[in-house]
Amino acid sequence: MVPKVIIMETLNVPMWMVIPFAGLLLCIALFPLIRPAWWDKNKAWAVLFWSLLSLVPFAFHFGAKTSAQTFAGCIISDYLPFIILLFGLFCVAGNITLDGDLAGSPKLNTIFLAIGTLLSSCIGTTGSSMLLVRPMIRMNKWRKNRAHIMIFFIFLISNIGGCLTPIGDPPLLMGFSRGVPFFWSLHLFPVLIVNMAILLFAFYHIDKSRYSRDIARGAHPDLSKPGRMVRVEGIHNILFIALIVTAVVLSGSLPKMAAFQDAAGSTLGIHLAGGVTLTFPSIIEMLLILLSAFLSFKTTDASIRRKNHFTWGAIQEVAVLFIGIFITMQPALLILEAKGASLGLSKPFQMFWAAGALSSFLDNTPTYLVFMTAAGAMKFSKGIATGLGLIPVKMLMAISCGAVFMGANTYIGNAPNFMVKSISDENGIRMPSFFRYMKWSACCLIPVFVIDMLIFFL
Amino acid sequence: MDSKIDLKELAGRIYDLDAKVYKALGSSMGHVFYGNRDDCIHEMLTLMQERKNAHALRSDLALIGNMARSLKGQPEYKALMVEYNEILQDLKKLPTGFGENGIIDRKLARLNEADPRKRFAPGDHLVICISRAYGCSGSNIGFQLADLLRINYYDVEILEKEDEAQRLEKEDKSSDFIRYHGLPKRDALFFTQSQKIRELARKEDLVIMGRCADAILARSGIPHVSIFITAPMEQRIRHALQTGRDKDRKKVLKQLKAQDKWHRKYYRFYTGRSWGDVSGYDLCINSAVYGIEGSVGLILRLLPESFRCVREAKAKIEADSDPAEN
Repeated sequence: MVPKVIIMETLNVPMWMVIPFAGLLLCIALFPLIRPAWWDKNKAWAVLFWSLLSLVPFAFHFGAKTSAQTFAGCIISDYLPFIILLFGLFCVAGNITLDGDLAGSPKLNTIFLAIGTLLSSCIGTTGSSMLLVRPMIRMNKWRKNRAHIMIFFIFLISNIGGCLTPIGDPPLLMGFSRGVPFFWSLHLFPVLIVNMAILLFAFYHIDKSRYSRDIARGAHPDLSKPGRMVRVEGIHNILFIALIVTAVVLSGSLPKMAAFQDAAGSTLGIHLAGGVTLTFPSIIEMLLILLSAFLSFKTTDASIRRKNHFTWGAIQEVAVLFIGIFITMQPALLILEAKGASLGLSKPFQMFWAAGALSSFLDNTPTYLVFMTAAGAMKFSKGIATGLGLIPVKMLMAISCGAVFMGANTYIGNAPNFMVKSISDENGIRMPSFFRYMKWSACCLIPVFVIDMLIFFL
Repeated sequence: MDSKIDLKELAGRIYDLDAKVYKALGSSMGHVFYGNRDDCIHEMLTLMQERKNAHALRSDLALIGNMARSLKGQPEYKALMVEYNEILQDLKKLPTGFGENGIIDRKLARLNEADPRKRFAPGDHLVICISRAYGCSGSNIGFQLADLLRINYYDVEILEKEDEAQRLEKEDKSSDFIRYHGLPKRDALFFTQSQKIRELARKEDLVIMGRCADAILARSGIPHVSIFITAPMEQRIRHALQTGRDKDRKKVLKQLKAQDKWHRKYYRFYTGRSWGDVSGYDLCINSAVYGIEGSVGLILRLLPESFRCVREAKAKIEADSDPAEN
């Protein structure tokens, strides 16, 4: 997915316009705790309320045209490809099941997380998360303490693992479409290895202690039947995942081709009301993804979905919440666009933390672009040649790592985070609340990021 | 109204609802209460009685409700939600959480549980779990006790042999990884042996050595007597030097310390309790003071006379110790 940031004159957005975004985040954080049943029924109304509270003052302040341009642009260019990609991967991954009798133990879970983390760079964090979340839950169904496994799943597979290629995470694809070489992200391999080593070590020990607690509480897997070899059912769906990955790569590479550009170098597409353009590469991407999902459903037996406890609940929840998040975060993104260059950030470690802190709550793709633009405007004499100027390797590494890694800091930092939470919730795992999750990320991730800064970005 | 029975019935309904939801989903992703019905009900009752943990059970019920809601539109949905609501209503009827309703007279119940002679109900089997430090003749004490009571004796070797025999019977030639479902061998053996211990304790009188049997049975609510046997290090070294292959005192001391450490770690890992902690056992014996026969006699005094084997064993000891009668 590559959100298309609308190039428009810089708007002077007042700070108070960020209130609806903060309000929506607070609702997402607090209502599931204090009024879970009410929230379950009425979350769509809450989203509508905060979205209107964002749209109406914006329209009064900047006029209907600018408002339509901003919000229609965000829905059509950002939200639509985002949710279609998520929908496609959710459908296709739901048609694949790992059938076997593996019982989750600290060693097995650690190996599984390590493989998943590396897979994320090959098929994207969303693809990898959707593909592996159910096998992970199934393996650990006998355990009582399981939430920490899914939390580290979000840390590693849904976020950090996506740093090695532009396929891995949308910000890097955005970088690729702005001239960063495809294999440049492999520079991040040492950072990934350090993070993986620390987090997997921590996970192993946390899991070991909780595994021991589970056993002491009488939990035990069913070993009465002889074990069976692990078998993948619906394996042909891997082809559809490959097709979706291809669609994502095309959305980043087609806009660079002359056939998809007009005389002014803008990407061709369908012009919609409010001056918004739905580009042809984006249309191709979405059609390929929807086709993959359709074919996956047509060619896979329903019994596999039943085994996977496949329901529409998780994708519905994400679709509803994220449309509100996308709408209400527009003022915050516009402020960032306007002020990003003047924040006085000139060192890699500053870029790492700034890009990371904002990616924890905002969409990490535009955040990445803002800091990349700011770095490109600093007129460095050597570095990676991008469409935005020369950017030193260390600086680009810091921005990339900040944007990719710190999406793991909150449930809303990256789309797969919420999907993993929702699917876990649906399958009997008591996931932590919004703030308790942040406590986990503060305790486990922030120290790792400090180490990253000390080793790589100072 | 006997609220203890009600709570048990309520726990059973919660377990059954979870199983029904899981079946209706047709999922293989696991459910909230995984495992044997009796064990899960026992665990729920424990949660109900531990007031501070009652919220965990309510959260579990909420999770079942979430899973049931994902069946919306399917024929089973209505019936399951009606049942879910009924359970919720019943939970609400309990005045101030589960605590007060769990046990009619907690003091009395605690006293009953504290006295091994009053612990067993008619139909229960006499189960004696013995934990022992290496080099204190614990195995000999356990074996003599079983012999005197004429009941079965189990230790790690016997359980492992039974496990191996079962595997050969099933002609299971798969690799350890597949056979043990990807678990480490030590853990898998613990699980299969725990299951075996529970099965044995439900069907026969027995003496079982080690294997965390006391904690396993306590967790499953199976009545048993737990005993810990040890001796001063000096005595244990002497015993090990006499009976073992190693004749080097320093080496033996090192081995004994390593054994104790291993025991502590193993017991802590699988039970969450402290090995050798006096508060965890019905009786702790210093075998250096009582010797093998004295220890057996001591244990015998602790056992309930409602068991015929205990009465007979006591009579035999009395007869043996009174030469005038012979």
